Amino acid sequence: MSKRNVLWSWFWMFLGGLYFFLPLLATFEFSLKARKGVYSFLAYERVFADPLFLRTFIFSLEMAVFTALAGILLIFPTVYWIRLKLPQLRGLIEFVSMLPFVVPAIVLVFGLIRVFSGAPFFLTNTFTGTNVLLVAAYVVLTMPYLYRSIDTGLQAIDVRTLTEAAQSLGAGWGTILFRVILPNVRVSILSGSFLAVATVMGEFTIASFLVGIRAFGPYMSLVGQNKTYESSSLAIISFALTWAFIGLIQLLNRGRVQTQIAGAH
Amino acid sequence: MTYLLLSNLSKYYGNTLAVENFNLEVERGEFVSFLGPSGCGKTTTLRMVAGFEVPDQGKILLEGEDITLLPPNQRMVGMVFQSYALFPNMSVADNVAFGLSVRKMPADQIRQRVSEILKIVQLEELQKRYPYQLSGGQQQRVALARALAIRPRVLLLDEPLSALDAKIRVELRAEIRRIQQELKITTIYVTHDQEEALSLSDRIVVMNKGRIEQIGTPFEIYNYPQTEFVASFIGQLNLIPVQVVDRERGAYRIGEQTIQIEHSQRIPLSDQPKLAIRPEEVKLGKVDGWNQLTAQVRQISFLGAIVRIWLELEGVPLLLDVFNERKLELPKVNEKVTISFPYHACWVL
Amino acid sequence: MSNRLTQNSSNQRDARDARPVPSSLLNWLGVLPFFLFIFLFVFLPSFSLVSGSFQDRQGNFTFQNYLDLFSPSILSAYWVTIRISLASAVGGGILGFFMAYAVTLGGLPKGLRNALLTFSGVASNFAGVPLAFAFIATLGRTGMVTVLLKMAGFDLYDRGFSLYSFWGLTLTYLYFQFPLMILIITPALDGLKREWREAAENLGASSWTYWRRVALPVLTPSILGAMILLFGNAFGAYATALSLTGGFINLITILIGSQIKGDVLQNTGLGYALAIGMVIVMAGAITIYYFLRRRSERWLRV
Repeated sequence: MSKRNVLWSWFWMFLGGLYFFLPLLATFEFSLKARKGVYSFLAYERVFADPLFLRTFIFSLEMAVFTALAGILLIFPTVYWIRLKLPQLRGLIEFVSMLPFVVPAIVLVFGLIRVFSGAPFFLTNTFTGTNVLLVAAYVVLTMPYLYRSIDTGLQAIDVRTLTEAAQSLGAGWGTILFRVILPNVRVSILSGSFLAVATVMGEFTIASFLVGIRAFGPYMSLVGQNKTYESSSLAIISFALTWAFIGLIQLLNRGRVQTQIAGAH
Repeated sequence: MTYLLLSNLSKYYGNTLAVENFNLEVERGEFVSFLGPSGCGKTTTLRMVAGFEVPDQGKILLEGEDITLLPPNQRMVGMVFQSYALFPNMSVADNVAFGLSVRKMPADQIRQRVSEILKIVQLEELQKRYPYQLSGGQQQRVALARALAIRPRVLLLDEPLSALDAKIRVELRAEIRRIQQELKITTIYVTHDQEEALSLSDRIVVMNKGRIEQIGTPFEIYNYPQTEFVASFIGQLNLIPVQVVDRERGAYRIGEQTIQIEHSQRIPLSDQPKLAIRPEEVKLGKVDGWNQLTAQVRQISFLGAIVRIWLELEGVPLLLDVFNERKLELPKVNEKVTISFPYHACWVL
Repeated sequence: MSNRLTQNSSNQRDARDARPVPSSLLNWLGVLPFFLFIFLFVFLPSFSLVSGSFQDRQGNFTFQNYLDLFSPSILSAYWVTIRISLASAVGGGILGFFMAYAVTLGGLPKGLRNALLTFSGVASNFAGVPLAFAFIATLGRTGMVTVLLKMAGFDLYDRGFSLYSFWGLTLTYLYFQFPLMILIITPALDGLKREWREAAENLGASSWTYWRRVALPVLTPSILGAMILLFGNAFGAYATALSLTGGFINLITILIGSQIKGDVLQNTGLGYALAIGMVIVMAGAITIYYFLRRRSERWLRV
């Protein structure tokens, strides 16, 4: 490896590193300037003291957890079943899991509102109905990652042999799925869920049109319009959150590269 | 002047020894194999000749020229990799032509040379195919053709057949030897497969843990191994503990039975001397003038051309190989039999 | 004895015939929930948008909405969106490629690779509202970098730069684009076999020749495919643009968003046509991506 090559490599790393860290640094520095003339955590205190912060945070967290659960409940048995009985459908399912990329969040929410706010569903008339719609939308949005994680996990174990062994010992489908297969793909499912939760927590587009400031994303936006220091501290909190989730995922996966295409754009 | 001289080559990775004190003189047109188990240093040595590793000590001289520190793209040695390493974005013809086009040979000359070489490896019709459309054996032929196209001074092969099916391996093996002899090209062949090394080489370098155990012709390596490692690594070998009766006269004792060997064996006696003899040298029955011992039959395995008989001699296992015949008469299991072997067929380690 | 053998096999045949037929139908039942979900929450909304886009204000069938997509204001919205997506895709692609190269083949310490991949995983997910805030704090009128540069004598805003402009938004998009590139292209770079380089050197090629004739051609489908993905990613982005520019830059997504909030186009059908137009662009992008990925996988399978 020539010295000149290594120098170039450091150059690009430096450039990239600058790009990564400067905005974070600037935001953090800004968030500390709430009290005039001195660095303090005043902005953070104000944010944590805001009842709306806790309410929206918990709401989005709930939605995120529901999304992860619903998504797994939907996708895990399906992927398992396809691997076992209908391998010819694999290509189709992969295509379907890419659909959320083709139908971006803004278009999805447009269509969802058109279909479900009127007859015969009337989902948007109640909070519960809207929440259901929200979770459904998020399941669609996070489908690529959930599918990819679960599929990767199932690929690593011999699904057919495990199933046949369990069947020969008298197990029914439920037992097989949740007591035999699931424990072996725990890591993949967990990492997929974390990715889903991270996405939902900061999501803005769908949330703003369906639930408004009940969710965390729109709440952040509202704060940003009025209180600049608090918005910076919120940005840092949001970043730390994402960091925590992704860090957990990396810890679980150790080395495997996770790619995501759609996000909280 | 030796064509290729490897003198005192050593290579360390940190504190780990990869190769030490490697000395070899290769004649022009010779086919030499580096044979040994994984991790013995054979590939490292080959890569030093190719220029992908730099030795910590020693020299490499090719036709008198010191190439030890020369970068790999200036050495004019051709390398065939275990994984073929064909360029996936180029057709067979382009792959073979690569070395020539780098040297800026005129296009029509390139075309001619490529056809020539592809004819030698018998792949002419596949010129326009791409690597992903070829079988493993075909890819390996292309790799060979690509290395030969530049008319290298030395041909280096790094376990080229280990990724192939057994049947293709045997076919391709013979091909490689045929081509090497036709082109009279000096060749170094790395392998862990003894059958390959024994059948292809003019000489074999047996390596273990970074050092050379023995250099010799296949016959010498097999019949006159100089260390216990070489003796047991190559072929099947019986090792039976013995007690010394009279070392000068070559008299030894196995249990209550005595044997005689030709005392002109130069292998030094270790603390626990063992009798070494190949299974095919041991015969069933009494033969006059030979050592005769009594043993008990434990198991008989039919291996096709060979019938392998497992005996117990004074509590120690002994293998005996017999050529298969339709009307072969074999002893029964647990039968006590007499076995014989000549004085010169064995030695003591 | 032979009777017993044949008896056994005929017993087995009877047992097989006794099983319910066809079991394959039951198999399809297993995937019903999933397809039902997709139908309800992906296809139904999409079809609804499609049908809406072919209706005029009275509800009659018409192509007019699609024709209206070519009106100057909408065309310019498309053009701006395409330009921003292209700029951030190419910019992010180049920066991401070189960083991925630096950390795979560039001779940097091994630990840096994992660190970079982790950061890229986080950064590619850090978009939307908080990202906009972060860039305002960096390059806004009173942003840290702006202030620092002003102290060094270089006044960004005087020279015409503004974060709330095309290039400001592109710069912001780059924050999640180039990490995405790193994540996508790193496996492709890993797929460059060491032996190819050695074989090329062995045959007399210099480093540059190897890159020009082997490595870059092999990587090109992956690089192009990744950039297409980046393009699509930026094309569909909404939250970041809205938070940063408040809708000042008229992207297609912003336009659709305004339409959802209220009938700003005075023609709901046109809004639907816009949405479908966006889907067509994204579908095109992903088709090209798949085609390119197929090509590179075929080569790298060797």
